[in-house]
Amino acid sequence: MSEVYNWQLGRDMSYPYEARFPERQFAFVFNINRCIACQSCTMACKSTWTFSKGQEQMWWANVETKPYGGYPRFWDMKILELLEQANPGGQAWTADGQFKGQTIFEAAKQTLISESARVLGYLPTDEEWNSPNIYEDNPVGPKGVRNTFHATGESLPVHQTWFFYLARICNHCSYPACLAACPRRAIYKRPEDGIVLIDQEQCRGYRKCVEACPYKKTMYRGNTRVSEKCIACYPRIEGRDPESDGQPMETRCMAACIGQIRLQGLVKMADDGRWAEDRQNPIYYMVHVAKVALPLYPQFGTEPNGYYIPPRWVPRQYLYQMFGPGVDQAIERYSVPDRELLAVLQLFRRSNKIIYRYEIEEGPMVYEGKLNGRDITLYNDTVIAFGRKGEELFRTNIEEPIHVRPHEHANSI
Amino acid sequence: MPYDDPDPTDPSVLVGVPIPADEEVHRETAAAFSSEFAQLGYNETMIHYLFTNPFYAGAHRALQALGDQAIREIVREHATFWENVRIACRASTNSCKSATLVVRSMSQEDEEETP
Repeated sequence: MSEVYNWQLGRDMSYPYEARFPERQFAFVFNINRCIACQSCTMACKSTWTFSKGQEQMWWANVETKPYGGYPRFWDMKILELLEQANPGGQAWTADGQFKGQTIFEAAKQTLISESARVLGYLPTDEEWNSPNIYEDNPVGPKGVRNTFHATGESLPVHQTWFFYLARICNHCSYPACLAACPRRAIYKRPEDGIVLIDQEQCRGYRKCVEACPYKKTMYRGNTRVSEKCIACYPRIEGRDPESDGQPMETRCMAACIGQIRLQGLVKMADDGRWAEDRQNPIYYMVHVAKVALPLYPQFGTEPNGYYIPPRWVPRQYLYQMFGPGVDQAIERYSVPDRELLAVLQLFRRSNKIIYRYEIEEGPMVYEGKLNGRDITLYNDTVIAFGRKGEELFRTNIEEPIHVRPHEHANSI
Repeated sequence: MPYDDPDPTDPSVLVGVPIPADEEVHRETAAAFSSEFAQLGYNETMIHYLFTNPFYAGAHRALQALGDQAIREIVREHATFWENVRIACRASTNSCKSATLVVRSMSQEDEEETP
């Protein structure tokens, strides 16, 4: 085991390999406040990468309803419970944001799992994999009877309703548990963009990666007897997609997002594994400057590169567990956005090209008043996005036109 | 479909379990709901209507828990804020103005067109 620095935990931690960092890192921000679980991302991924025989149960991108659902079912509850068993009552953060509990790498040393496992985890059952979204939003009916549901559902107790949709893909972690667990060293992290891939020639289907990944984003394919995972649509990231015109392009799941909840980028890495300062990169700005986007279950210790703007209506204790410290600050800033944050939030899904830098041109004041009990001033600023070579990708205003169709063409495309 | 029906003794399976939530959760639900729909160009009346529709379970529960007056105040606050930057353009008249005003004028047209 090596000691590596995990900035999300605010401390060093144990990891089976020495730290190695890419030049840039694939990273993304999802705004949960806007996700409606339309599953456009899910189907965009499915129809691109996992439509073949043997991949029926595979959903590299999925959207699940929290707190009820999960794909595979109970994935987060189970790994949280394993960690709690390994370190009872100790999985907590200090007041200054340092994690004092144990990661899945550290807890593995203290639990009765096989020496070869290296990482605390479990293998989901076939049943847990095979029905994504089962029992989530939809009413269920008697087994084996199609197109009906239990008519007595209204006798359930009234829910003090809160739930939210959690969109997930592989987090392309800085310290991947799948990579750490692979006895064949078939999993690698690309030096140019930090994308984590499984070498299909090297893999022998031992499923140690499936067991180890706490987010359960590596999956076993029965007919080829090897494991597969999200590849971050790397041909698009490399600019080799016919549509991309040689420019780095966001993944299929990002591009398909009709709710405009997703923004993806490639952040610069420093030699020590932290993000190099890149103030005008929108992902860097949201994660390290505005701090509105937080990692998913940072306590697992893999340093995931997917970040979420937490849903503002969910009880805070649940969010503390899911996103660690920083939840209160993130929600506060998102609920009453300052001038720069409001401009950066307009960048979501205005283009499928990867944004490397943004600039803001100040515009006139259009409103002064209160929002969520706070004084707020609204400006019609212009935000300009730039691509890899510094070329302008697009510019957009805070003031957004909504084009109303005439009555006679209400449903025309 | 799963092989078996959910096991009610399995603590991981939430079957008919009410999840605790306080007034603040309802208030935030209402605020988030109002804000996002206001950003889509919905006006005060339209957003308030959504709260009355049980299809929107979270919003409807917030209406039940907080009461109509509190919901109207939350909706008004967000609609007032966002109507300043959501400008609607109508191809038929070649005019652009506040989304709220356009939606209101469209509603009036609908009423006028109704025999």
